[in-house]
Amino acid sequence: MSKRKPYTREMKADWWRKDSFFTMYIIREGSSLVIALYCFMLIAGLFSLTQGQSSFETWLGFISHPITIVFQVLTLVWTLYHSYTWFQLAPKAANLWMGEKRVPDSWIVNAMYAALAGCSALGLIILFL
Amino acid sequence: MKIIKTDVAVIGAGGAGLRAAIEVARTHPDLEVALISKVYPMRSHTVAAEGGAAGVAQDHDTFDNHFNDTVSGGDWLCEQDVVDFFVKAAPKELTQLEHWGCPWSRRPDGSVNVRRFGGMKIERTWFAADKSGFHILHTLFQTSIQYPTIKRFDEHFVLDLIVEDGQVKGVLALDIAAGEAKLIQAKSVIIATGGAGRIYRFNTNGGIVTGDGMALAYRHGVPLRDMEFVQYHPTGLPGTGILMTEGCRGEGGILTNKDGYRYLQDYGLGPETPVGEPKNKYMELGPRDRLSQCFWQEAQLGRTVEGPNGDYVYLDLTHLGKEFLHERLPFICELAKAYVGVDPVKEPIPVRPTVHYTMGGIETDGRCATSIKGLYAAGECSSVGLHGANRLGSNSLTEITVFGQVAGEEAAKNALEISHGDSQGLLDQAQASLAKYQAIKEFDGDEKVADIRRELGLTMEEGVGIYRTEEAMQATIDKLAELKDRYKRINLKDDSEVFNTEWLYAVELGYLIDVAQAMAHSAILRKESRGSHQRIDGFEKRDDENYLKHSLAFYQGDAQPKIDYSTVTITKSKPAERVYGAAADQQEADKKAADKLSAEEK
Amino acid sequence: MAEIMKMSILRYRPETDEKPVWQSYDVPYNHETSILDALGYIKDELDPTLSYRWSCRMAICGSCGMMVNGQPKLGCKAFLRDYAGGELKLEALANFPIERDLVVDMSDFIAKLESIKPYIITQEPRSLDDGCTTQTPKQMEQYKQFSMCINCGLCYAACPQYGLDNKFTGPAALALIHRYNNDTRDQGKAERMKFINEEAGVWGCTFVGNCSVVCPKGVDPAAAIQLGKVESAKDYVIQMFKPGE
Repeated sequence: MSKRKPYTREMKADWWRKDSFFTMYIIREGSSLVIALYCFMLIAGLFSLTQGQSSFETWLGFISHPITIVFQVLTLVWTLYHSYTWFQLAPKAANLWMGEKRVPDSWIVNAMYAALAGCSALGLIILFL
Repeated sequence: MKIIKTDVAVIGAGGAGLRAAIEVARTHPDLEVALISKVYPMRSHTVAAEGGAAGVAQDHDTFDNHFNDTVSGGDWLCEQDVVDFFVKAAPKELTQLEHWGCPWSRRPDGSVNVRRFGGMKIERTWFAADKSGFHILHTLFQTSIQYPTIKRFDEHFVLDLIVEDGQVKGVLALDIAAGEAKLIQAKSVIIATGGAGRIYRFNTNGGIVTGDGMALAYRHGVPLRDMEFVQYHPTGLPGTGILMTEGCRGEGGILTNKDGYRYLQDYGLGPETPVGEPKNKYMELGPRDRLSQCFWQEAQLGRTVEGPNGDYVYLDLTHLGKEFLHERLPFICELAKAYVGVDPVKEPIPVRPTVHYTMGGIETDGRCATSIKGLYAAGECSSVGLHGANRLGSNSLTEITVFGQVAGEEAAKNALEISHGDSQGLLDQAQASLAKYQAIKEFDGDEKVADIRRELGLTMEEGVGIYRTEEAMQATIDKLAELKDRYKRINLKDDSEVFNTEWLYAVELGYLIDVAQAMAHSAILRKESRGSHQRIDGFEKRDDENYLKHSLAFYQGDAQPKIDYSTVTITKSKPAERVYGAAADQQEADKKAADKLSAEEK
Repeated sequence: MAEIMKMSILRYRPETDEKPVWQSYDVPYNHETSILDALGYIKDELDPTLSYRWSCRMAICGSCGMMVNGQPKLGCKAFLRDYAGGELKLEALANFPIERDLVVDMSDFIAKLESIKPYIITQEPRSLDDGCTTQTPKQMEQYKQFSMCINCGLCYAACPQYGLDNKFTGPAALALIHRYNNDTRDQGKAERMKFINEEAGVWGCTFVGNCSVVCPKGVDPAAAIQLGKVESAKDYVIQMFKPGE
């Protein structure tokens, strides 16, 4: 009989805390939680709009509350962080060529930032027009 | 002990072993192959070959050119009929690798590119950047996966051949992880275990290159042929011995001594060619044996650089530019940076000669058959007669595929003619052999495996190195006898079964010592200088009258090996003076004039 | 003269150990000493019972992958000088079962490589008489990088998805699919799409991206997998509109 007895190391629930790379990954993925909550908040706003003015004003009051504002700032920062990580990784999912050479990664990343800036500017223009 | 019955057993899953296994599986789907390797196939040392594989590829090149380069490169100790077959088969086999997916480097038009290599008159070295061996090995491994008849025995260490009535019947293999031995009963056995470079201290070889197959065949009475011819590669990194491919020089790299002088011009390889304009068979594109010898001469003159890991010279690639180096020699750039802290784009790389290749090996005929029926050998472990006294760079990667194919074809043919006999006798033999190897764990004494291995490397370097004398070789022979005796008193600490590498290193050490003896004894009796065997004790010249013959080392157990000789097959190239540089052009011109004259006389 | 480094190694001898235990050694080193060299010193001078895999010493055979202070590395290409002043902790590659000491059981990894048809598939066999296929440098560039994998397994040790569920095909094998699918000489993409499309295929990847960070050969398996997702999505749409299936 063989005396083999391979030992399997367990992966504990806190595996992502052992390595900063994994910690940053979990933080990146964690943004989905606040974004989901933020979306619920927006949907609630839409719903309150259908329920009449007083309902909508209550909602407006809710989102102007200091705690909710802190939450919104948190969501913004967290989402921007996710965008940053996504932009860094985006070139991997693109196989773009110019003649005989691959399009440099920095071009793709910069194009993403440009698109983000463009969309944000557009949003602000619509808002303040 | 478990018995596994197969048709063809292949020992070693590097380039030659994989190519052989594929050949059997591809042409005979009814035959089963046991592909046995002490490591996973992609770890095999083929993986570390860098420069490329030779095969005629251009319209202005001919098979005769490749033939002549190989035969003169081998100092006329080649079997010329074998070389003839080889050069013709080479382009076909390299094309086959291309069809299987090998990413050969290309020209802009999409055709396969070739590069210059030492001792080759015309560019004919196919390359995949500077990872040619890596790509060949992975291509072959991945190709082999599609054949269900190839049953792999990865990490199985072959302890012995099972031979009965002059015919091979199988192998005794140990499953390293399980610690269990198996009898793999086979109709044909192919040995494809690679070289024995780890006999020496400084070498380009991986830890697994321990002459296993050579020792297995040798111990069963198959002679080892031309073992005195050990190749020093002129450009290894000091300390580690890591290989800086000849492709560096093929692409235009130059060698300079401590004064920045291209010293090769002083040794019959000149005149100096302009930097950036390499010329085939001149200067840095001379053959490896000569270049390594030049280094030694320079060191004697005190013109090499002294370093903590021995003297060195410079391999200068700086004039080739970053873009070119990163395209053609990316691995070299990576290795130089990691292991000696030098960026080849900016600074020259320190290099020194280091043991690289065993020209000799298990004697086979031109079809890879050994003197034991059913037993074949291919690749570096074999001596099929291709390399003679010195191998030209890039001939060996082609060799593994050309002769891997041949070995596979022949082994399949043999397997079809034979049926399995009774297993009991073989099993008894296997049990007895296993007990012998198990006994190593129980040896009584206090010798250390590591000490004996270290002393082996040192003594071989001293006695059977680049330049040799009777006195030093005799000292090495005596030392080897001492080491062989001490080996019987090694003390192993690890008596476990699962992945017991201490025990396996001890078995390998036994293989190394036996093969080293074959080298040293063959060397001392060759009283001439030829190829990589250079003597400086009154035998500085080649002596065709007495030594245009192969040496054959026969194993004699505890006694010293018996050395015999066999003739060399000469077909169309009569031995001539072996010259490079301008002298070679002169020789060719003279020959042409003489041929013309004799034609006119007729 | 040589400095001394304290090296702790996670030992596991299945015949005597219930579970792995740490053992320390003092190893002299200089500027050139690699971790593999240090292991050689331990094996030769201090403790011959230590088992580990190695061969080429030049980062091409892929044998000596291990965890060095928690990071997957090739022992031959990591140097003690880079850990000077601290302690070195060596452990068998993460996410693989330990066979013994620094040796892991690689059979699952090998089986995955074998399972994805990693070889040129053609509809009609090519004849050697036709010579070599034409393939321009640009065509080669489409797959070349992904053919550089040395099968060392570091990317599997770096992949939490594989660690959490080893049904995931994993970075190296998925990169190898990409390598063959993008080779102009190959016609086997349709056969390999199922390995990409399945749950254990590219969709098992959450783009952690660590595989590409730890790869000692500059292969970018994460890129291969993301490009695989694009291919898989396209394949899904095409299948929707395919008649008769």
